Amino acid sequence: MLKLHNITKIFNSELFSQPFTALRDVSFEVEPGKIVGFLGANGSGKTTSLKIAMDFIRPTSGHVEFDKSLGKNKTDILSQIGFLPERPFFYPHLKGRDFCFYMGKLLNLSNNEISEKIKYWAPRFKIDFALDREINTYSKGMLQRIGFLVTLIHDPAFIILDEPLSGLDPIGRKELKDIILEVNKIGKTVFFSSHIVSDVEEVCDNVIFLKDGSLYYEGSVDKIITENVKPISNIRYKDESGFKSIQVKNSKKNTEIQRLIQQNFEIISIEHDKPTLEEIIYNVK
Amino acid sequence: MLNKGSLSRLKVISFYTAKEAIKSKVLVNTILLGFALLVFTYIAYSFTYGEPSRVALDFGLGTLSLSSVFIAIFMGAGLITDELKNRTVYIIISRPVKRSVFILGKILGLSSVLIINILILSAITLSLYFGVGGAYESLISWAILFIAIEAILMLLIVSLLSLVTSKVLSVILSIMIYIVGHSIDGVKVLTFIKMRPSLGALLDLYQYILPGFYKLNLKQHLLYDQGVGSSYLYSTLLYGVLYGLAIICLSMYLFERKNLD
Repeated sequence: MLKLHNITKIFNSELFSQPFTALRDVSFEVEPGKIVGFLGANGSGKTTSLKIAMDFIRPTSGHVEFDKSLGKNKTDILSQIGFLPERPFFYPHLKGRDFCFYMGKLLNLSNNEISEKIKYWAPRFKIDFALDREINTYSKGMLQRIGFLVTLIHDPAFIILDEPLSGLDPIGRKELKDIILEVNKIGKTVFFSSHIVSDVEEVCDNVIFLKDGSLYYEGSVDKIITENVKPISNIRYKDESGFKSIQVKNSKKNTEIQRLIQQNFEIISIEHDKPTLEEIIYNVK
Repeated sequence: MLNKGSLSRLKVISFYTAKEAIKSKVLVNTILLGFALLVFTYIAYSFTYGEPSRVALDFGLGTLSLSSVFIAIFMGAGLITDELKNRTVYIIISRPVKRSVFILGKILGLSSVLIINILILSAITLSLYFGVGGAYESLISWAILFIAIEAILMLLIVSLLSLVTSKVLSVILSIMIYIVGHSIDGVKVLTFIKMRPSLGALLDLYQYILPGFYKLNLKQHLLYDQGVGSSYLYSTLLYGVLYGLAIICLSMYLFERKNLD
């Protein structure tokens, strides 16, 4: 759906300061139909990559390519993309409903189509009660919800979200993650950046991980976890004094289980030591 | 040339830009100024002997001109910088909206708010003027038209400057351009300048590049019954329109190439 080819971005913003390299020869691909997480610490280059992908800023070298299925020219491609920037504020004096109509009309939707979409999505995002209020009265979470609504208003094939879950409470995050999974099920490709690793692990098929402006990992979430599984098992058992747990190397697992059984201890569970994506990411940090 | 889709998006951006600006209570300033105008004109009328209608017109056109320029600078400085600060520009141009259409739509939207402001204050000014016995002269309409052109030019200048400098600097530079643009014609006739041809040439060069706002000021002609030829009026109108179009083209060119970070 989206390919970044050898993107390097050097900022020369200050007159007497050293140029700053935000991205170094970064190449990755967002495959169609997948939910792809874009991970990296603050300042790793995630937002810069997204801005280059959306043509808000130009790369120093390299180029961006969108799938031909999105369209031949820029207008067609952008009509098929739903983009939500990081920490959006929107137009403070417009009402939520006005803002939805504004965005819908930019995509040539009719008033009826926009009303239908608002009717469908506003209750899902739990923002329907505030649509007739000015946006400057919205909380951070409400801004994020109306942002999601206008991102989906034209039924885009490719959804790009920059830190979409920041500013939301755990219930809000769960609701929005459910919607991400739902739109993916009907064939939409979702690419979203986040520094909340557990959210990415929960919903994403693939992950792209940037570290200090360079690509560190690109691939499936399962693969990176499998590659980082240690050859250790956790055995939980019960003796006279209660529940206990031991860690053994996989090669000695069977011997240890036999020993525990011979001692008449009850085996409760045997689990491979499977790290979470968060643990893997923190390790590479 | 704009195609049908771009034209419809241009209308949408202009409409919602104007709506946002009006709802931001920018026109409260107009209403307050209108009220102040009524009070000042009444006071001046009470204390003036002989020409109360001229005083009403003087106050009215002066307030109209200054308030329009003030609103133009205030709105124009935030035209792009506020969009970037609030990240609203990203959400608009990630839709199928060309950058040139976006900036043109913003300019048209804010210009329409300026025109509404000018129409309201003009209506108040003219009611007061006719109310105290003033007679209609076609030059009054020209003076109001030129005030509108001056305000739109200021809006264009401050928004152009905000593309290349900070918001504060663009406001300061615009105010300087406004002051110099009004006084340059008077400065050129000073003996100090006449004795220094190189300085005179520099001022001539300035006049070729930056706007000569003095040309748009018809107030003195109107108040002192100095006739103005129609060729001057039409050539000044053409000057204002062409200058405005040139700034719009330059703004579109710069915004097309600007890194929106």
